[in-house]
Amino acid sequence: MRRREDEPGMNMTPMIDVVFQLIIFFVITADLQNKDLDFAFRLAMAPHGTPVEKVNPLTININVDEKGTVTIGRVPLTAAQLTAILRASVAQYGQRIPIVIRGDRMSRHESVRAIMDACTTAGLWRIKFAAYKEEAR
Amino acid sequence: MARKKRKSDMPPAELPMTPMIDVVFQLLIYFIVTIKPVDVFAHLDVSRPQAEKTQPQTAVPPKLIRINVFPDGFAINETPVTLEKLDGLLEKLAQLDTTQTILIMCAATSPHEKLIQVLDLCARSRLTNLSVVSTN
Repeated sequence: MRRREDEPGMNMTPMIDVVFQLIIFFVITADLQNKDLDFAFRLAMAPHGTPVEKVNPLTININVDEKGTVTIGRVPLTAAQLTAILRASVAQYGQRIPIVIRGDRMSRHESVRAIMDACTTAGLWRIKFAAYKEEAR
Repeated sequence: MARKKRKSDMPPAELPMTPMIDVVFQLLIYFIVTIKPVDVFAHLDVSRPQAEKTQPQTAVPPKLIRINVFPDGFAINETPVTLEKLDGLLEKLAQLDTTQTILIMCAATSPHEKLIQVLDLCARSRLTNLSVVSTN
């Protein structure tokens, strides 16, 4: 009898606290995976391109800025280093690694071509170009 | 024991809403202030010829559609076109056959944006068989 009386007075406060903590956690971590992508260069616009839905965790993002500097994770690389990295990845994970080339819209095609050549010499064939479907700015 | 005593003393208290609403508003303000709109990315798929020189440089079969990308414009099967015209042509082409092989030949000095524009038009017309070749 007494126990049933206790129930309506259940303390909601700790539960709400926890729920808020969870909400904050998920809001903050939601776009962490894009945090390393959003630095200062502008991709080309492709409003009709296929939207990115699922990203294979093995994907290697290779960036080219407008001056033709090739970077992976903000580390500038020479052509030889890039080939060595790609070869090492192929040796470990096989040739099905997807490559995403993120070229600045003003970069010259020859620097993109150098990356594609490095990929093909390493035996990688799943190459994609990244572009903005919608630009936030 | 204390719990029982409180229970008997006063009626079951309602959950005080005011502090909770305060906190919710704080959170709301915080997130509105810090929010940064995200870019929506697209990935454009291409296939590449093998880098090895083993495959012979055969003459291009006549059914192939060649799109040239130059620093200052585009050409389809050696006919110079504007981007709008190229769009119309690709759309007509896609109505016939979306698996048609399209060879995109990109000049080394052209900006990457031009190539992306062509790939975007192909994606729009749902053409899937795209090859990118670099020319000097």
